[in-house]
Amino acid sequence: MKDYQGVVMTTPVSLGYQRQSPHGAPWFIGMVLRELILRAGLSKPDIEGLAISSFSLGVDSVVSLTQHFSLSPRWIEQADMGGVSGLVALRRAARAVQAGEAEVIACIGGDGAAHRSFEQTAANFSSWSIDAAFPYGAGGPNAVFSLITARYMADFGATREDFARICLDQRYNANHYPQALLGHKTLSLDEYLSARPIAGPVHLFDCVMPCAGGEGFLLMTEDRAKHLGLPYAQILATDERHNSFSEDSVQQSAGWACYRDALYQRASLGPDDIDILQTYDDYPVISMMQIEDLGFCDKGEGPRFVRETDMRFDGSGKPTNKLPHNTCGGQLSCGQAGSAAGYLGLTEALRQLTHKAENNQVVKARTCLVSGYGMVNYDRGLCSAAAILQGADS
Amino acid sequence: MNLREKMKRRLKLNRPSLRARARPPKQRTALGQQFTAANLPVSLSMQVCTACEHHQYPPAELCGNCLGDTLRYREIDTAGQLLSRSELHHSLWEFFKRRISTKPWPIGSVKLRCGPVIIGHLGEGGLHAGDDVAVFSHSDASQAAVLIIVSRATPIATPAQRKDIITALCLDEPAEKKGGI
Repeated sequence: MKDYQGVVMTTPVSLGYQRQSPHGAPWFIGMVLRELILRAGLSKPDIEGLAISSFSLGVDSVVSLTQHFSLSPRWIEQADMGGVSGLVALRRAARAVQAGEAEVIACIGGDGAAHRSFEQTAANFSSWSIDAAFPYGAGGPNAVFSLITARYMADFGATREDFARICLDQRYNANHYPQALLGHKTLSLDEYLSARPIAGPVHLFDCVMPCAGGEGFLLMTEDRAKHLGLPYAQILATDERHNSFSEDSVQQSAGWACYRDALYQRASLGPDDIDILQTYDDYPVISMMQIEDLGFCDKGEGPRFVRETDMRFDGSGKPTNKLPHNTCGGQLSCGQAGSAAGYLGLTEALRQLTHKAENNQVVKARTCLVSGYGMVNYDRGLCSAAAILQGADS
Repeated sequence: MNLREKMKRRLKLNRPSLRARARPPKQRTALGQQFTAANLPVSLSMQVCTACEHHQYPPAELCGNCLGDTLRYREIDTAGQLLSRSELHHSLWEFFKRRISTKPWPIGSVKLRCGPVIIGHLGEGGLHAGDDVAVFSHSDASQAAVLIIVSRATPIATPAQRKDIITALCLDEPAEKKGGI
C-alpha cells in the first residue's frame, strides 16, 4: 500500500456535546464546518472536498448539505459507518488529497439527539436487526454486547473489576477534559461495581450515553498546512477490514487481527512505540478486544493487560506499565454522539499530537494509534479500522 | 371512553408508556413477514438454498453462500448449542419494560446444528453456555414469529407444548397497564 506522503491532518474540532438537543444533524455538522474554516483561516471556497458521517440526516445526505451550506465541492463522500466513520473518511480523503482531487477536505461527523431518537435508531438499525435481533427484548446494542461480554468473560476469565480498570481510568481522563458530559463526576470502583444492571454482565457504567455533538478535522496537503501555519499530524499507516472472522459463532476478534502486522510494518513501528492509544469504547470489552487484536497483548490476555497498565493520560495511576488510553475519556465519559463518536479518537489524537490538548495533554506525545469499530448489523460489529498518526513537530 | 375518544387521547398523549396494552415489536421487513408466514405451520422453518444447501438466517433474498436466487423455506432441525446467555434489566420497548419490572428478561444466542447463529428468548431457566438446546418459532402477541430457546430435553413436538412455553413466558399476551389509554 502506498504511503501518505504529503498529506496531513489538522484542525481538530469537537463541539456541541449535549444529552438532548432540539437541533438536527445539519446544525452540528454546519457548526463544525464553520469552526474548521475559522480556525484554519480558510474561506468557504477553499473547502474543495467534504466527507460527512451521520445517522440522523434522514432523507438528506452530504449532497443536500452542499446546498444548505452554499458549498461547491469537487469531491464528496458519505461515510455513515458508525464507529469507523472517522477513520474511513480519513482514508478516503487522504487518498483524494494525494491524488490531487481536492487540496483541502473537511471530514465531519455529527448527530443530533432528539427526544426518543435513540430508540428509533436502535429499532431501525438494519434489516437483519429489525427481523432477528431487536424483537428479542428490544435492548438495542446493550443486548447484543451483553452476549459478547458474557462469552468473553467465560472464555478468558475477565471480571467486572477488569472492565472497571478501563472505565475508571477513562473517567479520570474525562475529569480533565471540559467537554466530556460526565467529566464533572468522578467514578470509584465501588460506584462502578454497585451500578444498576442493564443487560447480563453489562452495568450502567459499561454503557455509553447517547448524546448530540459534532467532531471534525481537515485533511490537506502538507504544503498548504505549512503555508497556513497550522500544526498538523502525519498519517503513517491505516487499514480497514469488514465482516472478518465471520466463522466465529460469537465475536472475539475483528479485522485488526488481520492487518495489524502490516499496519505496524508500514509505519516502521511496533506496539511498544505507541505513545497513546485511542480505542472505540462503546463497551469496555470492545476496547479490550482492540488492545489484544492490535498486538498490545495476546488474545485472552486483555484482562491481565489492563490490570497491569496505567491508562491515565498523566501516568498518575498505580501500575508501572503506562499507556495513555482514550485520553479525553472516550465515549464512556464524553457521551456517544452518533457518528461523531467514530471521529472522537481522531480529533483527540490530533489535539494530543499537536500539543493542543489542554488539561489532559500527554507529555511527549509523538505517536498515536487510533482504532475504530462499529455497525452491529445483527449479532456483532462488522467494521474495523485503524490508523497510526505521528506528530510533525519533532 | 368510547373508541373515538380513546384514539383522540392516544394521539394527544402518544407515549407507549401510557398505553393500556403494550405489545412486542411488530415491525419486520417483508422478508421477516415471510419468515413469520413460513413458520406458522411448523416448529421451525428457515430458508435453505436449493443449490448449495446453505441455511440462511436472518432471512434474505439471496443465498449468503452462493448468492443464488435459490432460497426456499423448509422445515429444519431444531437442535443447537447455546453460545451465550444474558438477562435484560433494561429495554427500549414498553412491552419489555413492563415485563422486566417484575423480573429480568432472559435472552440467548444459539449456534444451530444446521449452521446459522440465532438470537432468541430463553424459554426456561437453568440453561448455560455450551448446553444442548432446541430452538422453535412461535407467534408473539404482535402476531410476528419469534424464536424460543429451550433445553433439548423439553418436549416441543406438538403445537400445544410450544404454546404452553410461550404462555409461561407471557409472550402471547400484551403487557397491560391499568388506567392506560
